[in-house]
Amino acid sequence: MKAPGLGRTEMRRPRDRMSAALGRRVLAAVLTSAAFLPAATAAQSWRTVTMSRVMSGEKNLDVKVTYGAGTFSMGPAAAGMLYRMQLRYDEDSFRPQAQYEGNELRLGVESVGNSVHLGKKRSEGSMDLRLARNVPMDLDLKFGAVRADLDLGGLSLTRLELGTGASESTVDISELNAVRMEKATFEVGAADFEARHLGNLNADDIDVSAGVGSVTLGFDGNWQRDADVKVNMGLGSLELRFPEGLGVSLHKDSFLTSLDSEGLVKRGDRYYSLDWDKAKRKIDIDLNAAFGSVKVVWVR
Amino acid sequence: MLRSRRGLLALGLGVLLVPAGAWAQTRSVLSKEVSVGKSEATLRLEFAHGNPLEIALHDGSVVIDGQTVGSYRPADGLDTAWRTLLAGAVAVDDGALAGMLRDWSPPEGLKGDEEGVAGRIATALHGALTGSTGTRTEAPKAGVSLSAGQGGAQEGAQGATARALLSQAGHLGVFEQALKGLGKNTQLHVGEDVNVAADDTVKGSLVVIQGDARVAGTVDGDIVVVGGTLELAEGSHVTGDVRLADSSLQRDGGSVGGRVVNVSMGESSVDSATRAHIRDEVRNELRSEMREQLRAATRVHTHPSRSLFAPFRGIFNAVGGLIGDLVTILVLALIGMGVVSFAGDKLDTVAETARRSPGRSALVGVAGTFLLIPVWILGMVALAVSIVGIPVMIAWIPLFPLAAVAAGILGYLAVARNVGEWLADSEYRYTGWIRKSNPVYTIAGGLVALGAAFMAAHVLYVVPFFGLVRGLLTFVGVMLGIVAIQIGFGAVILTRGGRRGGTYPGPYDAGWESSVDVDVDQGNASSPAASATAEPDADESPGPREDGDA
Repeated sequence: MKAPGLGRTEMRRPRDRMSAALGRRVLAAVLTSAAFLPAATAAQSWRTVTMSRVMSGEKNLDVKVTYGAGTFSMGPAAAGMLYRMQLRYDEDSFRPQAQYEGNELRLGVESVGNSVHLGKKRSEGSMDLRLARNVPMDLDLKFGAVRADLDLGGLSLTRLELGTGASESTVDISELNAVRMEKATFEVGAADFEARHLGNLNADDIDVSAGVGSVTLGFDGNWQRDADVKVNMGLGSLELRFPEGLGVSLHKDSFLTSLDSEGLVKRGDRYYSLDWDKAKRKIDIDLNAAFGSVKVVWVR
Repeated sequence: MLRSRRGLLALGLGVLLVPAGAWAQTRSVLSKEVSVGKSEATLRLEFAHGNPLEIALHDGSVVIDGQTVGSYRPADGLDTAWRTLLAGAVAVDDGALAGMLRDWSPPEGLKGDEEGVAGRIATALHGALTGSTGTRTEAPKAGVSLSAGQGGAQEGAQGATARALLSQAGHLGVFEQALKGLGKNTQLHVGEDVNVAADDTVKGSLVVIQGDARVAGTVDGDIVVVGGTLELAEGSHVTGDVRLADSSLQRDGGSVGGRVVNVSMGESSVDSATRAHIRDEVRNELRSEMREQLRAATRVHTHPSRSLFAPFRGIFNAVGGLIGDLVTILVLALIGMGVVSFAGDKLDTVAETARRSPGRSALVGVAGTFLLIPVWILGMVALAVSIVGIPVMIAWIPLFPLAAVAAGILGYLAVARNVGEWLADSEYRYTGWIRKSNPVYTIAGGLVALGAAFMAAHVLYVVPFFGLVRGLLTFVGVMLGIVAIQIGFGAVILTRGGRRGGTYPGPYDAGWESSVDVDVDQGNASSPAASATAEPDADESPGPREDGDA
């Protein structure tokens, strides 16, 4: 039995969640971008740095990557390499960061100084990172205003955290994650974000939080187990792409959000895929959204 | 010839650095960092075992493991060869990288010191990658000693000696000079201190590089000290020369049979007569200069009026100041013409508000001035928290101050127009040219009136002893300007930039009315602003009133 007023409270929840998600994401986007703004507008003097390290019996790895502005790409490294990073950056505004202690590897660039030079045409830096294939690792990626193209296929990820500010990011898990992942978290600020082959993450839980922008989540891939997926969407469009044969259960808690629930049937307060009962692998999606649209697409 | 000898020396010493066991198995490179920028090209290597290696060509210096071993010029042969090596090193890792670096040799054709420094780099790379102890850069104080004529030193000692010598590759020319003419029987000490006791005698020459020498006994030959200190104690005796390169001499007595030569300075080449002559010349030059300075100082203090332009300085100041005032007035008048042409109705509205309620406008103007920066910052913060607001914020940052300045100018012009109208109504002399029906004239007249105090102050530059009056006039001008800007700025705020009719709390402010002594009815009837905006008569509108958009 519901307590008096509970329904009203529930009605307000999506908005609250939207506010929280929107506020957090947008604030993160602004702060992350602002943190790199002074440096990004300073005079440019380019430097290229290539760093690499061979494997020396590492059992696991905790990788933290910070990259503020530019183009970021990522993929698996050649056999025997622990990591390989290639940076092109403005040495007056940034400095590379590469620290390896214990099993923690910190990579990226950090901004220096706070000079502002407006009115000068600028070009972007870039960072290309390759990580070892066979070393189980926790991967933490923090991006500012970055165009990111990540191929996590072939890596052995035990945990994944991706935070982006104002960016365009594409994450593709092109190959099955060799180890079981506890949780994958994607926090997207004001950005266009696309994830492909999320099934290859081999994850128990997937959390996606987006502030403003366009988000596409592709749940195709080689699902090894059932998973729970939480999606918090502030303002924008969300496209959920499911492969045929995957059992999908969707609970929507939204405010002023349209849902194009193609291929889903509603039972109670949840939407189910048509072959839910027969599906070998099932995912439960808890969707909170406000001010936007949610579209479901089925792919072969 | 000299170059070839240096090259041969470097090459020969380089050979010494490679003991037989040095060509052992290549060490594995654990990590690599290649950093290439405009002024730096650096390689850092970390090995599975042993110390890391860092070689950098940075801002003209060649640095190996923190020690400067030579110099280079951007894009010279050494710099190009090093960057070429690094470009190749970027592409490979592990064994291939180690092999490539180990086998690197300086390209042919390097000039001058480049060859020696490149050899030093190659040696450092080879030593680090093969793990040979004799190839790495070490502190010069290695405690090595050998006699050049005896040849009995150990191979490792030779390597260390050569290393220390190579570390001084930049001083090869000095070495050559210092060692010139030494006999075959020479003791060479590198990187260590030498002590010749009181009862000792050194047969032959004594060379100490990167070390100190203390001689209390006898040296039957020359003493050469490079990069150290030579101490000749009481009772010591040197039969030959004492040659010092980048070194100092402490002499507590003793005797030197030959000359004391500072190789780097070439001191011996200047005889005492020449030194005395130079000393006298410098002394005379200094005396002459001091005399001239004293004369100049005396002339200034006793005859200040002798400056050629002194009598005209006041005129120059006056003319310059007046020109500045007139240019300012002209520029503002031109802006006023533009405003009258394109936003005349808005100027009328602002002027009318400033005229009808100058006190309120001034208060709002002062408040607005104080709030400018907080509003600017708050605006930035408010816009920053929304995605839509971020691009607006980027425009807000420069446009808000510009808008504030524009509002100040608009308000100042509006007040100037009011002043011009007042002058047109007045019966003062020289104001007949101000035609009240033409706002351009009234603005120009008002600008001249508001700037009159400044102009008067500048004119007074030509009159001596009027500094106080000039200061007072300047103060009045500044105050007038501030008051006019505050009233005008406030009126701009009250009228939303002239887009809304002003709010008039009642009849004309008493202060303004008494100061300008305007005939209200006449002013309203004749003011194009009043007729254009059709403001109600002040008597008919005793209370506050908000008009709609003009």
